[in-house]
Amino acid sequence: MKTKKLRAAALCLAGAVLLGFACPRAAAASAQKDDEPVTLRVCSWEEYIDLGDWDEEELIELDNGAEIFGEDALYREFEQWYYDTYGKRVRVEYSCFGTNEDLYNQLTLGDTYDLVCPSDYMIMKLMAEGALEPYSESFFDRENEKNYYINCVSPYIAKVFAENEINGESWDRYAAGYMWGVTGVLYNPELMTEEEASTWAVFDNPKFFRQITLKDNVRDTYFSTLGYLRQKELMDETFRSAADYHEKLGDMMNDVSPETIDEVEELLGHIMGNIYALETDSGKADMVTGKIAANYQWSGDAVYAMDQAEEDGVYLQFAVPEECTNLWFDGWVMLKAGIGDDTEKKQAAEAFVNFLSIPENAVRNMYYIGYTSAISGGDDDTVFSYLNWCYGAEDDEEDAVDYPVGYFFSEDGDDENYTVHASAEQIGRQLYTQYPSQEVISRAAVMGYFDEGQTHNINQMWINVRCLDVRDIPLWCWLLALCAVIAAAAAAAVYRKNHTLE
Amino acid sequence: MGVFRFSRKQLGIPYAVFLICFVAAPLLVIIYYAFTNGEGRFTLGNLTGFFTSPYTIGTLAYSFAIAVVTTCVCLLLAYPIAYILARSRWKSKSVVIVMFVMPMWINFTLRITALKELLTMIEGNLAFHPFLNTIIGMTYDFLPFMILPMYTTLLKLDQSLLEAAADLGANPFQIFLKVTLPLSVPGIISGVVMVFLPSMTNYVVLDMLYNSTYIMGSLIGSYFSAYDWHNGSMIALILLFIILVFTLVTDRYADEDTGNRGGALL
Repeated sequence: MKTKKLRAAALCLAGAVLLGFACPRAAAASAQKDDEPVTLRVCSWEEYIDLGDWDEEELIELDNGAEIFGEDALYREFEQWYYDTYGKRVRVEYSCFGTNEDLYNQLTLGDTYDLVCPSDYMIMKLMAEGALEPYSESFFDRENEKNYYINCVSPYIAKVFAENEINGESWDRYAAGYMWGVTGVLYNPELMTEEEASTWAVFDNPKFFRQITLKDNVRDTYFSTLGYLRQKELMDETFRSAADYHEKLGDMMNDVSPETIDEVEELLGHIMGNIYALETDSGKADMVTGKIAANYQWSGDAVYAMDQAEEDGVYLQFAVPEECTNLWFDGWVMLKAGIGDDTEKKQAAEAFVNFLSIPENAVRNMYYIGYTSAISGGDDDTVFSYLNWCYGAEDDEEDAVDYPVGYFFSEDGDDENYTVHASAEQIGRQLYTQYPSQEVISRAAVMGYFDEGQTHNINQMWINVRCLDVRDIPLWCWLLALCAVIAAAAAAAVYRKNHTLE
Repeated sequence: MGVFRFSRKQLGIPYAVFLICFVAAPLLVIIYYAFTNGEGRFTLGNLTGFFTSPYTIGTLAYSFAIAVVTTCVCLLLAYPIAYILARSRWKSKSVVIVMFVMPMWINFTLRITALKELLTMIEGNLAFHPFLNTIIGMTYDFLPFMILPMYTTLLKLDQSLLEAAADLGANPFQIFLKVTLPLSVPGIISGVVMVFLPSMTNYVVLDMLYNSTYIMGSLIGSYFSAYDWHNGSMIALILLFIILVFTLVTDRYADEDTGNRGGALL
């Protein structure tokens, strides 16, 4: 009797569990037709979107009359905006990744996202593997004023995205630019001159023995070391003035032939003997505390570091090496595995990109993250006004200079309307870092993705540099180890002998 | 009609499930990856690759060096403390014990961050002594794990044995060498095991103290982040094997009288 009751209870429980599983699914299936929101799974870098909750005094009032304030996280505000604009409900599941490789591993291990924001080379890799869903035709329709991305993206960024191709297709079909920048050297002007910092050779400069950090990241370190290795060719005037300079520069900085990798390995081994350490995130803090005089930095993080250091009364500067610099992007791409045939979802994903491309939202992101948005605003001058708001000199400032940023804001690169009248000290500081000068941009190269064999080779190079070579261990270490082993064995033998005697 | 009968054995089911899901299955996955190549075919290449590369062998040697030196330093520091505390009749000695254990209540990354600043103040530039800094950081991190087992063993030590040795004419030094030390070996062994094994792989300490040389843990991590599951798994397997051999060897010296064999494996 008792067991029967127990069985009945168990059956009931099992039934309830089964029902519990089945019910919401059935409900979901029927409700989808009515008003069930589309779920958009977004994955981006940590701290890479305005999370709102600004203090009241943070309100940004621009010259063009725009007032910008971060009330709530942008992806939350998007849900409301989408409903107001398209009359449909959407729910955003926002999550973060740490590195491009982490994201890629997550994707291969079966995590599905609809919209992700990896860097240039990872976009290329995903594109080459056919994992990306192209943006629809209507996304590029300039007539539709809700298409903020195509109407507001910087002509310069649009050009770079159109020029770079994978398998005969240009990036811009698959990726929408979000943030961009260059790489360079963040340095403390009290310890280092601008000239010393403006070269990739700085990491090998014995004057700064154990005072500079490089990135704990094979791609960045490879680029800077290659720039140093090819210094002579890169600085050569005839090379620079050649008609196909850009193409050649790109080829040179993407050279991963086995011979070049060997040369880089040797040089990097030498550099490792001179630098302070490899770091991923501690460099910014170590600049402020004075542990190091300079570090390799992405422009976005450099702006953030300068802002932080200023609060502590330390003034840092950013230099872009004369040889060349790495132009990098992060962009929104849709994943085939997540979007599938779901047109509703695709529309929501494209609307999300458009929402982030509204100039006000681009400014909010720039203010919050410190990085440079790929959005210039098109006919809307909010972004340019923000630039003036940040860096514009006071009217009575004497040593103010004109800083042209026309290449970024207008089709016609020399448009003089886009010139920031900034105080002279901004050159070499935040303004210069956030919007590098035309001259810096002219020596920028995109570092592409490498195929499996090449990736394996540079990773092996990296491991060789990081690992202790057993052949480098001096003899006295081996002798010491031998003594230790003999001593340990003797102690064990004595102990066992005494122990068995008992 | 089958009767559902509750027996005590069934209490073990959750643990069995846990062990299968989180220990046995991952281990099988690691073994599978370690002995296959990118195309999924069986290969011993990963194994021979490890033992023929001067860089991986060098990394193994470096990890060993760090672990051995850390263990020795911990042992030399911890034994006198444990001995003094265990032998003293001081009433509030538990307070001292708590003070040694207290740092463990705080997450070690926070403690290492503080240590980093402290060492910078002392040394000026951390980059000149990466090995020394690593040893200091590891010792700081693992010292409590060495003190506690030795303290417990020494506390249990039968005082009458020491009195008997003294009665039979042994001087204090002889008593220590012939009675106290041999009897405290089980405590030493479990302390050594608890310090040696984690210090071979704790690469976070190295990262935080700006030691850019790879040890076994970071080498595995670098292979994994480069999507090379095969070589990474092989190194993990080799590390597991080394740990197994180490525990089996030390296990022979563990506390036999109390039937505590196998304790070291835990």
